[in-house]
Amino acid sequence: MLPDEPVLTDMRTAYAEALIREGRGNPDVVVMGADTTDSLKTSKFGREFPDRFFNVGIAEGNLVTISAGLAASGKTVFASTYAIFLPGRAVDQIRNNVAYPSPGGRGGLNVKLVASHGGLSVGPDGGSHQQLEDISIMRTIPNFRVMIPADTVAVSALTRMMAAEYGPFYMRMARSKTPLVYDDDDHNNGAAADKRFEAGRANVLRDGSDCTIAACGITVSMALEAADLLRREKQMSCRVLDMFSVKPIDGRALEKAARQTGRILTAEEHNIIGGMGSAVAESVSESYPVPIKRIGALDAFGESARDAEVPLLLQKHGITPFNMAQQAGALERLPER
Amino acid sequence: MGLDYCTIRSKVLRARKLVIRGTAAAGSGHPGGSFSMAEILGCLFYKHLRYDPRNPQWEDRDRLVLSKGHAAPGLFSNMAVAGYFAESEIDTLRAFGSRLQGHPDLKCPGVEFCGGSLGTGLSYSVGVALAARLDSRPCRVYAVIGDGESDEGQIWEAAMAASKYGVDNLTVFLDRNFIQQDSYTERVMPLDSRLGDAEEISAMWLNRDRWRTGDKWRAFGWNVIEIDGHRIEQVDDAIKRARAHGSAPTIIISRTIKGKSVEHMEDNPQWHGKAPARDMVPIIDAELESQSIIAPSIIAGDMTNLAAEVVRCAEGRADYIHLDVMDGRFVPNRTFLHEKVRELRPLTLIPFDTHLMIEEPHRHVRQYVDAGSDIVTVHAEVTDVDTFGEISDMLRENGVGVGLAINPDTELPEWSLGFLPRIDQIIVMSVVPGRSGQKYIESTHQKMARLMPALADNGFAGYVEADGGVNLENVASVFADGARAFVGGGAIVSTPDVRASIRGFRQAVATARRRMLLDLADSLGGSDLVERWINLHVVGARPAEVRTIAQEAGYVAR
Repeated sequence: MLPDEPVLTDMRTAYAEALIREGRGNPDVVVMGADTTDSLKTSKFGREFPDRFFNVGIAEGNLVTISAGLAASGKTVFASTYAIFLPGRAVDQIRNNVAYPSPGGRGGLNVKLVASHGGLSVGPDGGSHQQLEDISIMRTIPNFRVMIPADTVAVSALTRMMAAEYGPFYMRMARSKTPLVYDDDDHNNGAAADKRFEAGRANVLRDGSDCTIAACGITVSMALEAADLLRREKQMSCRVLDMFSVKPIDGRALEKAARQTGRILTAEEHNIIGGMGSAVAESVSESYPVPIKRIGALDAFGESARDAEVPLLLQKHGITPFNMAQQAGALERLPER
Repeated sequence: MGLDYCTIRSKVLRARKLVIRGTAAAGSGHPGGSFSMAEILGCLFYKHLRYDPRNPQWEDRDRLVLSKGHAAPGLFSNMAVAGYFAESEIDTLRAFGSRLQGHPDLKCPGVEFCGGSLGTGLSYSVGVALAARLDSRPCRVYAVIGDGESDEGQIWEAAMAASKYGVDNLTVFLDRNFIQQDSYTERVMPLDSRLGDAEEISAMWLNRDRWRTGDKWRAFGWNVIEIDGHRIEQVDDAIKRARAHGSAPTIIISRTIKGKSVEHMEDNPQWHGKAPARDMVPIIDAELESQSIIAPSIIAGDMTNLAAEVVRCAEGRADYIHLDVMDGRFVPNRTFLHEKVRELRPLTLIPFDTHLMIEEPHRHVRQYVDAGSDIVTVHAEVTDVDTFGEISDMLRENGVGVGLAINPDTELPEWSLGFLPRIDQIIVMSVVPGRSGQKYIESTHQKMARLMPALADNGFAGYVEADGGVNLENVASVFADGARAFVGGGAIVSTPDVRASIRGFRQAVATARRRMLLDLADSLGGSDLVERWINLHVVGARPAEVRTIAQEAGYVAR
């Protein structure tokens, strides 16, 4: 392997391993699947804890509502399948059975919906399977918190965080292997990792003063490349924020970025309507308005692309480090007031 | 143990009245589906469900999941009667700031499921049942689903999952009332068989061959029990059978009538989601309070084959089987004793209404309880404050209704007045007991006129059973006197077609009741209210029949 070649890791494997660790530590952890348990790797949990693993078949509404029933009786439930079949299919069950019930005044039931296959990078399966609306759907549902990990370190830490924290969560993972953006020293749930992945926090992965790129999921590593490009090509100092917690969003980090860098670019593999970019714009426009540019699917669906062609599909929607750098550089910068 | 029939029945009545009170106060809500499941919820809340209203989160409680969440008034009213909150809170139904939301909500402690979006409660129940099993808790999960919501695919997803995981701590009631919001279920999306445009929904009741719902659930691997969902004894028995069934979940397909107990709401799709007008509430309450019971007396039949008489009465759809026990001492005749009651008990689930015409009943009553009586009535002439107190306590402890009978020449004794709030049934004899084939003693009408106000003044909340010489000709006047249960000997059991005779009794009583309600409407609001009351009746022959009665009474023009 060349020194520059990034280390690719698999989010689903990290998720399944984290679940097993949680299952060993907490007998109330229950894992639910819907005929994608081999793909999601959660079947490994089922092999270790057959009593606490339920595969309901291709029935996502049932998946979500049975999870709600288990959670209502004190279980910590992780329910997983592909993103297109969770928010994309079972929004009524997610809203009315998980988010709405508030036992003893606590908001929502203790169900963690963890989806794989978010966004365009799903690739060959095509537009019908590329979920580009889930962030928008999920962040508008009260009581839900929405997490989008950038790599396997984040997946592990967020899984642990969700298991410990009461309430409904949605976590969106990518299908394809992703480069590490975090140090994997504390991959196995070190305290430092936990602190970096509290809900409501954004991580400053690179400091900068000329512009900010806010990214989530697979666009985080691209944003880091874009920052390199900007420094190399335009001598610009670009701040990179990992917005893994889209809801609650880190308004303070965003306000600070707006104030200190004067412009913000967002990038996500999601429709720009209602996604992370919208969430950033909503926050910044109320706290410290600066020019914002959103990169993402331009209110359009995806299409098939073989694995090697996924970069081309992303490129069609402008989701490349090069375009990020170009758009960030072209944004008017509001001088610090 | 008795069935607790009288207790369940009286609490179901209280709950139904609260549904009317709440929806009328709210100006909206769903009385129809609340009434179709009323007896189901009654058997759960007042007999089988284990819960603690003071500790709604008790971990080993049974769970009741109301999947057909629009019937929230039916759930809330029973929770009030069960003691979760004061009955007066029903006045806040659907109001801003109330715990009693438009659909069941965990905001109200004791509610287990936020219903409303249909088709999901069964999946939820599967989850709750699986959790109970994981935790080795003894609790059972009861779910009530609707037939309309069975259109939802998720019902069948849950059915498959419950079957796969052998969730045998789950019992589901299908409230099969044949009506959903738009129309009859068999028009919108048939579960049994499609209803022709020219057919009334009653067609579905006439032909069992059209019932396919049980087959569907059996095909999904469920234990299926099919019942009349308004028969307390059938609901009770089904719950027991479900509990005894291991390895598979049970569905109790309960054929019911939407709006049951209020004639203008019954089988009328309009009352899926509509509240009664406030000025109609007293009339509807009176209607709810005047439900009647037909209790054929088997000794009027073939005394050498009483088993056959029980079967005839059961097939004739009697409400009670009236058993006249005569010892040859209190009355000159002998009929049968407790051994016979015990022998007849396995023949039917229908409540045994045992009338003890015996000396020293306190010495024998236990045997009649053990033999399977559901209501036991003893005579005032042979009891006193001590022996009746003893009898009454024993009956109550055993889930048996408490009855007190008086002969034609006996008035209600002074000592009995204090017991009245806890007495379920007063038998007013209108013949001299001990011989069959006598004529109704006409002076009983005057006696009833004295008796009814005294009963009301002393907190009596049960009903009067008329016993002796009641027939098709006089049953309307006996109803008008205030009797609500009618023993039929010669007029029912001696006739060749018991079923037709019972139906005749019911029709005669229904006509008398319609007249009574029209009288009430007239006294409350004159011809305007009478006209509006008539116009509420829209299904089948009812509008014409009610109008004719009103015309005959001179309330509306011919």
